[in-house]
Amino acid sequence: MLGLAPALIVLAAITIAPAGYLFLTSLTPLNLTMPGTAWDFSGPHYNYLDLWEDERFLRSAWFQAHLSVATVALQLLGGLGAALLLNRDTPIRRFGRSALLVPMVLPPIAVGILWRVMYTVDISPFHRFMAWIGLPVPPLTTDPDFALWAIVLVDSWEWFPFTMLLVLAALQMIPESPIEAARIDGANGWQMFRYVLFPYIAPTLVVCALFRLIDSIKAFPLIYVLTSGGPGDATTVTNYYAFVQAFNFSLWGYASAIATLMVATIFVISWIIDRLGGNSDGRHD
Amino acid sequence: MDGKAATRRGVLQAGAAAATAPAWLLAGKAPAYAQAAKPFAGTTLNISCWASPYARFIGEYLPEFTEATGIRVTYDTPGFPIYNQRADLELSTKGSAYDVLNITFIFTSRWIGAGWFTPLDEFLNDRNRTPADWDFADFLEGSVRPMKDRQGRIYGAPWVADVLCGGSGRFDVLRQQGLGMPDTFAELERAMAAIHMKDDIPAFIVENHYGWVFIPFLQGFGGNVFRNPPDDLFPTLDSAEAVEAAEFLAKLLRQYGPPQAIGYNVDQTTLAFRTGRVNYQVNNHAFLVPASEPGSRVRGTANFSLIPAGPKGRFPGIASHAWGIPVGSRRKPAAWEFIKWSLSKELMNRMVNEKGYAAVTRASILNAPGFRERTMVNGFDMTQLYIDTLALAAQGHMRYRTVHVYPQANAQITQALERIISGQMGARESLRQAQQNTIQDLRRAGIRF
Repeated sequence: MLGLAPALIVLAAITIAPAGYLFLTSLTPLNLTMPGTAWDFSGPHYNYLDLWEDERFLRSAWFQAHLSVATVALQLLGGLGAALLLNRDTPIRRFGRSALLVPMVLPPIAVGILWRVMYTVDISPFHRFMAWIGLPVPPLTTDPDFALWAIVLVDSWEWFPFTMLLVLAALQMIPESPIEAARIDGANGWQMFRYVLFPYIAPTLVVCALFRLIDSIKAFPLIYVLTSGGPGDATTVTNYYAFVQAFNFSLWGYASAIATLMVATIFVISWIIDRLGGNSDGRHD
Repeated sequence: MDGKAATRRGVLQAGAAAATAPAWLLAGKAPAYAQAAKPFAGTTLNISCWASPYARFIGEYLPEFTEATGIRVTYDTPGFPIYNQRADLELSTKGSAYDVLNITFIFTSRWIGAGWFTPLDEFLNDRNRTPADWDFADFLEGSVRPMKDRQGRIYGAPWVADVLCGGSGRFDVLRQQGLGMPDTFAELERAMAAIHMKDDIPAFIVENHYGWVFIPFLQGFGGNVFRNPPDDLFPTLDSAEAVEAAEFLAKLLRQYGPPQAIGYNVDQTTLAFRTGRVNYQVNNHAFLVPASEPGSRVRGTANFSLIPAGPKGRFPGIASHAWGIPVGSRRKPAAWEFIKWSLSKELMNRMVNEKGYAAVTRASILNAPGFRERTMVNGFDMTQLYIDTLALAAQGHMRYRTVHVYPQANAQITQALERIISGQMGARESLRQAQQNTIQDLRRAGIRF
């Protein structure tokens, strides 16, 4: 135990202390324009009570859920599809693997700028092309019906290679014998996938879902660059709402309460998915 | 560290240099004999301002400041909202990262009231630091007033007094329809209907900072943001007048605006004006004047006017922005040298003559012979437009804007208008939501009703 002490101290310093400070701040009405609010614990539960009465917060959580579910689903499907297509060692597929990784290695701001251009009707090659073929597309980021989906599309484009990469690795770890056996038994493509490949890659998909779900809750740069939370509040997801409360209104206590709730949510989701992952892990052992 | 090095001897040397050679220092060019007297040589100042024509011009003149004083400058000019977020956070920490920052009009009460800026009186009243002929009294009183606290201490030296005006990049199209510049809301609506998509040009645009551009419409219909600012800050965003104003502006943008009209920030709006891609807009004077710059496609067709009047009157947005020294700066004397240089009569005159800058804050320049001629755009007297608009400040209609919780209302107004213009909600419902949210945000900020 004593030997672990240095590691535990470092862990406490870099993770537990900031989280603890965040939680303590969330118990105060800290407003940077009013220094006296910094250590005012006279109403430690006020911020949390306020959250449940704050319709904008609840709506932001709803938008967050939409964004997270849609991006994770699209990324898993896209990544899985791409991995299955590229699961052969030919020169073209090797090139395809490298090329498809490009979105993931771009800085998020570069992705945001790129797609900002793509979504700006006046200058977008995509919009011009669609108009040219007679299928004009309405402005996506300023239309409340499409704005969140515009973010979903970009986030999925940026991060589906992550799933692709992990699933490809998992596919290449599958032994040849069950595949050969299924082939001899006359399994078609779907049966091969469903009954042979999928059980092997399911744990990997769970891990991908976990990572991408956590990351989707942290979505910020794309929203900041593409929509600034608008139109109206159509893309104001929870962490963007916390950002506005802190950086636009200086309400750091309230923003900390939102952040604390988000951290707790991530822990809970991680735990649930970890449990699910543990179960699926045992299925094909 | 630099601040310490600059004390006593440095300040005395600076004062002596300023007192004996103000002309060269203020003009930004040092004669050879003065090269040795650079008390702040080697100092590096960190300066930031939001992207505006003045800020751009200062960036172009900065090498002369460095040459004259030996002070190096790290200078950045992000967009307006990004600047405000960054400055707000930086100031709140009372850190020393910045030595000179713009005091944004909308944040004057909050930043000055919180004690985040240094009073400039000690610099202004010290003849060793500020020669009499620098003449702070020359700055337009209206632009200085928001930069003072309740005790009358001055925290900012204004570099712009900006006003909202109407501008048509393709006035020839209006003429062809037998129309002049719209002077009332009713004329505006008729004119936009008449010119929309003439020559394939959408008729109308305003920037998507509706917390700024919507207010003249709101007040023109008889509404306001708060019940009686600054004393009574109960929001009045869901009044019948507000609903009428929001429906009016939303109609203009939806029916006569370009696609993605709510995506136009001030840079895009200004570019659309200069390139003739949208005909008419309500925009800041400082952003309309560049229509006369080389490269503008509307130099020969632009025309301007006071912002149109509503049924209850004409209420143009009027705002001043100023240079200030953050309280945490460790290079305050050098920072003051920068402020003196950047707002000197000589440099502002050069900006007028060399860049066509027109939104000046010095009365002596505004009233100087020849100023009007130099700021004419396509034969239009932009100086008179500026003076006439500034005169409307006497109505006191801008009081809503300098209260410390306006940023909260500003965010709600902008979101509410976005919802209405994008068709997400009707005006009544959206403004009711904005009203509830603003009350909630103001309560959270400590306002008691």
